[in-house]
Amino acid sequence: MIEFKHVNKWFGKLHVLDDVNLEIDKGEVLVICGPSGSGKSTLIRCINRLEPIQEGEIVVDGVPVHDKATNLTKLRADIGFVFQQFHLYPHMTVLQNVMLAPVNVRKIPSDKAEEIAREKLIQVGLTDKAGAYPAQLSGGQQQRVAIARGLAMSPKIMLFDEPTSALDPEMIGEVLDVMVNLVSEGMTMCVVTHEMGFARKVADRVLFMDMGKIVETGKPDEFFDNPQTHRAADFISKILTH
Amino acid sequence: MLADFNFRIIFEYLPLFLEGLRSTFFISIVSIFLALITGIIACACRISPFKLLKYPAIAYIEIIRSTPLLVQIYFLYFGLPTLGVRVPEIQTGIIALMLNSGAYIAEIIRAGITSVDDGQIEAGVSSGLNYLQRMRFIILPQAIGATVPPLLGQSIVLVKDSALLSLISVMELTRVGQTMTSERFMPAEAFFTVAFFYMCIYFCLKALADWSQKKLIFREAY
Repeated sequence: MIEFKHVNKWFGKLHVLDDVNLEIDKGEVLVICGPSGSGKSTLIRCINRLEPIQEGEIVVDGVPVHDKATNLTKLRADIGFVFQQFHLYPHMTVLQNVMLAPVNVRKIPSDKAEEIAREKLIQVGLTDKAGAYPAQLSGGQQQRVAIARGLAMSPKIMLFDEPTSALDPEMIGEVLDVMVNLVSEGMTMCVVTHEMGFARKVADRVLFMDMGKIVETGKPDEFFDNPQTHRAADFISKILTH
Repeated sequence: MLADFNFRIIFEYLPLFLEGLRSTFFISIVSIFLALITGIIACACRISPFKLLKYPAIAYIEIIRSTPLLVQIYFLYFGLPTLGVRVPEIQTGIIALMLNSGAYIAEIIRAGITSVDDGQIEAGVSSGLNYLQRMRFIILPQAIGATVPPLLGQSIVLVKDSALLSLISVMELTRVGQTMTSERFMPAEAFFTVAFFYMCIYFCLKALADWSQKKLIFREAY
């Protein structure tokens, strides 16, 4: 479904992605972790070309992402992206936030789009918030709206960039529940997160990055209980102790 | 002191003052309208990725902002005729005010647009919205709310700046004060009245600005 072939990317002199090779299957749930600045966010931001790459190739569902001829609108419409800071549109209601792209990108008539949007809001457990503005919601609710906004496009892939890192501890659970729910529906997901509980519960594979390189990959239990590299062991001990 | 203040002469000159007020009002309205159009175009060029649009817009904005309005007025007033363009003073004045405010308005609008959080733009990008759709649905609705109060502020500045047109003998409010002073030598009365009328315009515009502030800024924080 997603394939990285010898991907290299630099921010100035900083080598943020260093010869990344990776294959993600349809329906797979991949958790990416690693210290800050290791390139994990950049990695998933390249999948829908929020970031350019300098070398190599990324292919999503048969489409070369960084090819000039690629229909970016179509590509991006098929990939949902959830940000750490939610990034809802503050001047629109929850319902309008969720409907915007279906109506204007997918060209779905607005009554049908509203139906879909309400359905997705039910799915994330926010039935009664359709008319609210983002500022009236808690962080956890905002992030669930952001997930519904992604789902309303019926994406083939959902990308999550630290979806719970900006949340108060008591709100993390409600967002993770929605994500676990998505996994059970067979969604292909790449999740940048340090939520070990989530990773152990639903991830098919954990990928550990450091300094732009994929250092280690493995089944979640193997990775967390018995990391193969010193760097990963060090990192796990650090996120465990706090 | 107030006993020495000659109110009678103010009433005697009142028709002329009202004529000046009308003229100031007319010049301001037309100039603000034209400046708004100039500003929108200049801003669109300024933020455009095309160098051919972007750099002339930067040059225009920087030249205007780095030189005094009076110099710009004189430049047009004395400069245009030497280029063979003959226009009446009032039109020269309006062009000067339009070009001057246009540059400031371009920057006000740009500030409004750049005030929209990059993350929202990324959210729009990643859901497949194109540039124009992002502008229309995400950026402009928020930018306009953030832009209207400073635009009204700029309008207040423009009304007061229009006093400089008296120096190229446009018969507006300040010029009426000068005329009365030279005819009767009562500068205190003359400019007291002039100032009073400017204040009237100012408070009207300020009320509008306050109202728009309440009305147009979307409900961000509860």
